Amino acid sequence: MKALLSIILLLTAIVAGPGCGRFGNPSNDTTGDRVVVISPIYNEIIWALGAQDHVVGVDLSSTYPPEIKGVTTVGYHRALSAEGILSLHPTAILTSEGNIGPPQVIEQIKGLNIPIQSFKAKNDSVDGTKALIREIAAFFHKEEKGEELCRNLDSQLAASLEKVKQYSDHPRVAVIHFGRASNVYLVVGKGGGGDAGGVSKMIELAGGEMALEKSGMQRMESPEIIAQANPDVVLVTDYGFDRLGGSIDQIKALPGVETSNAAKNGRIYRVEENQLNYFGPRSGENVAKVAALIHQ
Amino acid sequence: MANRPSERALSLALVAVALIVTAAAIRYGAIDFSFADISAALSSLLPGHAEPTIDQRIFLELRLPRTILCLFVGASLGVGGTLMQALFRNPIVEPGLVGTSSGAAFGSAFFFVLGGAFHFADAIWSLPLAACLGGVVSTYLVFLLARSREDGRASIVMLLLTGLAVNALFMSAIGFLSYLARDPQARSITFWSLGTLSGANWRSVCIVAFSTVAGTTVALRYSKQLNALMIGEEEAAYLGVNVNRLKWIILSVNVVIVAVATAFTGVISFVGLIVPHILRMMRGADNRFLIAGSAVTGAILLSVADLVARLALRPAELPIGIVTSAVGVPVFLYLLRRRQYVF
Amino acid sequence: MLEAIDVTYKVGGRELISGISVLFAPGKLHLIVGPNGAGKSTLIKVLARYLRPQIGRVEYDGIDVANTGEADLAKRRAVLSQAVEAAFPLTAREIVMMGRYPHFGGRPGPVDEKIVDEMMELFDVAEFADRNYQTLSGGERQRVNFARVLAQIWIDREHSSHDGLGPRYLFLDEPLTFLDIRHQLAFMKMVKDFASHADVVTVGVVHDLNLAGRFADDVVMLHEGRVKAVGAAVDVLTSENIRNVFGVEPSFIPAAGVGTHLIFD
Repeated sequence: MKALLSIILLLTAIVAGPGCGRFGNPSNDTTGDRVVVISPIYNEIIWALGAQDHVVGVDLSSTYPPEIKGVTTVGYHRALSAEGILSLHPTAILTSEGNIGPPQVIEQIKGLNIPIQSFKAKNDSVDGTKALIREIAAFFHKEEKGEELCRNLDSQLAASLEKVKQYSDHPRVAVIHFGRASNVYLVVGKGGGGDAGGVSKMIELAGGEMALEKSGMQRMESPEIIAQANPDVVLVTDYGFDRLGGSIDQIKALPGVETSNAAKNGRIYRVEENQLNYFGPRSGENVAKVAALIHQ
Repeated sequence: MANRPSERALSLALVAVALIVTAAAIRYGAIDFSFADISAALSSLLPGHAEPTIDQRIFLELRLPRTILCLFVGASLGVGGTLMQALFRNPIVEPGLVGTSSGAAFGSAFFFVLGGAFHFADAIWSLPLAACLGGVVSTYLVFLLARSREDGRASIVMLLLTGLAVNALFMSAIGFLSYLARDPQARSITFWSLGTLSGANWRSVCIVAFSTVAGTTVALRYSKQLNALMIGEEEAAYLGVNVNRLKWIILSVNVVIVAVATAFTGVISFVGLIVPHILRMMRGADNRFLIAGSAVTGAILLSVADLVARLALRPAELPIGIVTSAVGVPVFLYLLRRRQYVF
Repeated sequence: MLEAIDVTYKVGGRELISGISVLFAPGKLHLIVGPNGAGKSTLIKVLARYLRPQIGRVEYDGIDVANTGEADLAKRRAVLSQAVEAAFPLTAREIVMMGRYPHFGGRPGPVDEKIVDEMMELFDVAEFADRNYQTLSGGERQRVNFARVLAQIWIDREHSSHDGLGPRYLFLDEPLTFLDIRHQLAFMKMVKDFASHADVVTVGVVHDLNLAGRFADDVVMLHEGRVKAVGAAVDVLTSENIRNVFGVEPSFIPAAGVGTHLIFD
């Protein structure tokens, strides 16, 4: 009995103390808009626009730019808590469509009349990205900076495309991504919506060709999926790569990879998710980086 | 066994602790409410007072139902553990380990993904019913497969192994359903396997409260018979117990209270294991005290776990299953090593 | 009066006991003997109504026991089994109190407490009252169980020997396992004493033929599921019977004060 009471007192004491790491950051104290932004691309753009003072909370997956780690996080975007978000007293929550959960928490937030807002433009192409930048810039009244970002994007892209012309080959690329919600490895196909579309376009801009015909993301259930495609290069996004301890052998052990050209020639590389998976302000330079990677 | 605290003293102590913990749970969280805040929030409900502010609404619509749901879910899991241990006559079983929770989770997931196709989806009882059906199937499977053919008693090894297998089966079935489902229709597998109280609302509180209170009341009626069962099925029969009927009733009550709770919170393991053990250490194995005591102790433990889940990384939340496993697994291993228990 | 009438019990087509008809009179100690597999345990379980015979019936005082309710029967009939395991740490006193379960609804009354105290004294287990049953030795446990069983069918002899429940039935299924010699003899003496009451029918199974010969008023010898012989010990435990049924050769040695002692070869 006494033990139980002391445990409780101890817990109460812990409660009063600081949290740990990123989770313990005090929230921004600002006047005006206070937004919780649950989307890596929105956050990247907001920081690029210099509008980050309004952001009081971000999700766990938003990791760029590095300074963002100083902002309070509300957790993983599919496992949110209403109270947690609302404790930051946001005036709005910004997120890309249908990206957040669990559903009952969304209901709760809506029930408390906090607007959950998405921007219409999608960063599934260069044009889409520019539209998105402009929309977000308008929201935060940073229209000029927005235009500047768009111009930079265009010029960097043009420069990168020039560099890409230097390469004569068009390697067939398979991109392997680890889906955290479903807890499985996925392989990205040509086209399709959302992230998959973005990846495809990025690879194509970088002078490569998507090895897998089937659009969208598929689970790597059978070795045939990769084996039939027989990619020349395999890119693995950072989380999935690190999860296997960065071991090339372990990656070769994923279904179908072993027998591919990529494995035989040792052309298996790690790539940052935020460079490849979606278009954003840095995509212009990213094209060149990805091109360099796949043409090695 | 000497120096046992009297039943009355212990009951009072448990209730007192429960009140303290509940008070802490209401006060602390991503937002800390002072007692003044709380009374203001409550008075805003009275006619003539101003509309509640956002923070007050958070208290009334999120914090309060969550705290109360936590008490009832904790009670369900505690009682579920006690009943399951009495039924299987083994102190190292609990609903999470022998498949009830995962079956219930599967039933619920099934309801979310495919229930729309069948037109019964909207009745208030549909979800809990689906969960119960899932829980019944999985528990019955384990119960049936783990029994020895000689004396009908399930050895601990068989129970744990069968439970492991059935758990794996149902969790992979949930994975399959996630695969079929259109996002955001399906809840992610993390929700089901690690549990969370974040979805609490007054509706779920009512449903779980009802099943917990009803189930516990029924179970209490059979506490004497469950005691008799502890010295064996044959002995219990000679003491006038209808053993088959007892087993079916207790199994049903057990599954219902755990399944209904699981439908709203996902799988929360180890509470049912730890709670009866703590009580037995304090006051021995008499089911008359154990069942009621487990309800209160389960409520306490889960509330503490939820408090930790909400505060450790605030304003983000840990899935509560992580907290209960972090405490529960060492306790489980410790129990396995103690040779006091007969295998 | 307990009567088995043409009782046959089968499992999967195989008859464990066949056509058994025996009368067990009250006030006497009836002991069933036989080699392993003769059906002794099965017979006891059928008599105690744990098993239902496919053919024949068992009558308690003229009434077919198959028609009696569980709860009612539990007040009058008790069984002492070989080795009772407790799955959880219960105290010895809690175990003995279980014998009173058929007699009270929610909580035990003062009468129940008194009976439990008395029985624990009688079997010399009062000192274990608060000890964990799981930590007791085999012999200690058996005494605790005997206390429980007698508490279950306890008769108030001071006030009235008829308390409305009728005659009692006590069954003992090899209860002497784990007991040392001193306790075995003490047990049998207590059982004999209990059995001698006019309103009790006592039927037990023992392995030791000497104990059977010494304490039984009536011996039933089973062989391959059938009754080989019934009657007084001296009539049943003959060389011929023992040779045919047990496959050993007995010698009868007169022993002062206790009758005859058997030695086997």
